[in-house]
Amino acid sequence: MATKSVELVASPREPHFVGDGFRVHNFIPSGYRMDMQRMDPFLMLDYNSKYNFPPARSPKGVGVHPHRGFETVTIAYKGRVAHHDSSGGGGVIGEGDVQWMTAASGVLHKEYHEEEWSRQGGEFQMVQLWVNLPARDKMSTPKYQAIKNETISRYYVADNGGEIEVIAGSYKGVFGAATTFTPIHMYNARLKAGAQADFSFPAHYNTLLLVLEGSVMVNDTEQVPTDHLALMANDGDTFTVQATSDAVVLVLSGEPINEPIAAHGPFVMNSRQELVEAFNDFNQGKFGYLED
Amino acid sequence: MHRFRFTTFLTSNIDIDKNTLDELLGHCQMRFVNKGDFLVRAGEFCTHSFFVEQGLLRQYSIDKKGKEHIVQFAPENWFVTDRESLFFNQPSSYFIQALENTEVLLVDERFINELAQSNRAFLDFNNKLLHSHIRQLQKRITQLLSATAEERYLDFIRIYPDLLLRVPQILVASYLGITPESLSRVRKELAQKNFRR
Repeated sequence: MATKSVELVASPREPHFVGDGFRVHNFIPSGYRMDMQRMDPFLMLDYNSKYNFPPARSPKGVGVHPHRGFETVTIAYKGRVAHHDSSGGGGVIGEGDVQWMTAASGVLHKEYHEEEWSRQGGEFQMVQLWVNLPARDKMSTPKYQAIKNETISRYYVADNGGEIEVIAGSYKGVFGAATTFTPIHMYNARLKAGAQADFSFPAHYNTLLLVLEGSVMVNDTEQVPTDHLALMANDGDTFTVQATSDAVVLVLSGEPINEPIAAHGPFVMNSRQELVEAFNDFNQGKFGYLED
Repeated sequence: MHRFRFTTFLTSNIDIDKNTLDELLGHCQMRFVNKGDFLVRAGEFCTHSFFVEQGLLRQYSIDKKGKEHIVQFAPENWFVTDRESLFFNQPSSYFIQALENTEVLLVDERFINELAQSNRAFLDFNNKLLHSHIRQLQKRITQLLSATAEERYLDFIRIYPDLLLRVPQILVASYLGITPESLSRVRKELAQKNFRR
């Protein structure tokens, strides 16, 4: 088995606000070499590094907006987010929870700091990821997977070294809670200082690590500090991650879909014509209606 | 900074020699305008036509009560200018402001005049643009006098298919000459008619 090496370690870019509730560093697709083609099936990764929001009576967040053609995955590390959508659905994503929303044929939604949390304020840390759908599923019916932390299966690292939460895919025989349209592995590796875990994904899967807490050493050679992202090369299948201090690492690996990508704003389709249709359908209310 | 869209806009519509075009483009200037910044303010003289390469501008006036009225949005490939100021040398009654970080080409009158003299096809094309602009203005007058809120909205999404996702609804309402509440109602009614799940 060949070692999968580190292609690059990316530092967080200048943050920007999404609405007024998410202060994010964008890693995919706008910087470095991590565009939508290179990172296929991962289209977008926004990382809200730890940020202290002061108490606010009216919750901060992002107003009503549509999505079509892909899935949005929200992983909450600190803070709580409430969401509502045009089909009447809604819920709260709390610490350690994951919301896997298949926007597919179209969803209108809004995301705000959960009201009670907003009134207290505090530390906020989240990841939002967009996962592409294959052409055959882009217009399927929207759905949610609200994954509570306590329902996520864990692999326990030897010698009390911590645990690997398997959100999607599988890790050493432990299977993830989320179902996916194409093969994707998504874990939160919570490793104690000194503990080591090894990972194995097919070489052609696009793979990355995002360090949310502490720092790690990959393959005994590459140091990845807090809030940094390591993009793994497509040169091998296995690699090791050792925590140099207590660490939380988001591990992502997915099989490329290898289809044309036409993306504009909140729509990701396969052709320009499909994008035009998406705008038309949104303008004509085919995504439904949601009060701001 | 580029002027790719403007060049393509001309070369795809008229037969023009690339070198001639580059030479004339020397009369024009690219400018980067930050979101919120102004190209023209009421009371100033507007000295150029503005062609949007990337981003979004709006032209609006402010009435005596302080209310804003949007005359035009100008996303990519659109022109915007105050013709009374530019061609009749009057102080402008309008503000032209960037709603996004915008790359804009400042098209000088010399560019238009020299090209019109040397290139018959450009003269015809420019006339066609002017006529379609006037047609658009006539339609807009009729609409503001007599169309329902829904008719105005349907025309808006035809002309500006992606703007609802780029500007707050209060600005769309201002352009349509309706209240934000009416705009919400129209969009809600359309959704009730068209939403299938």
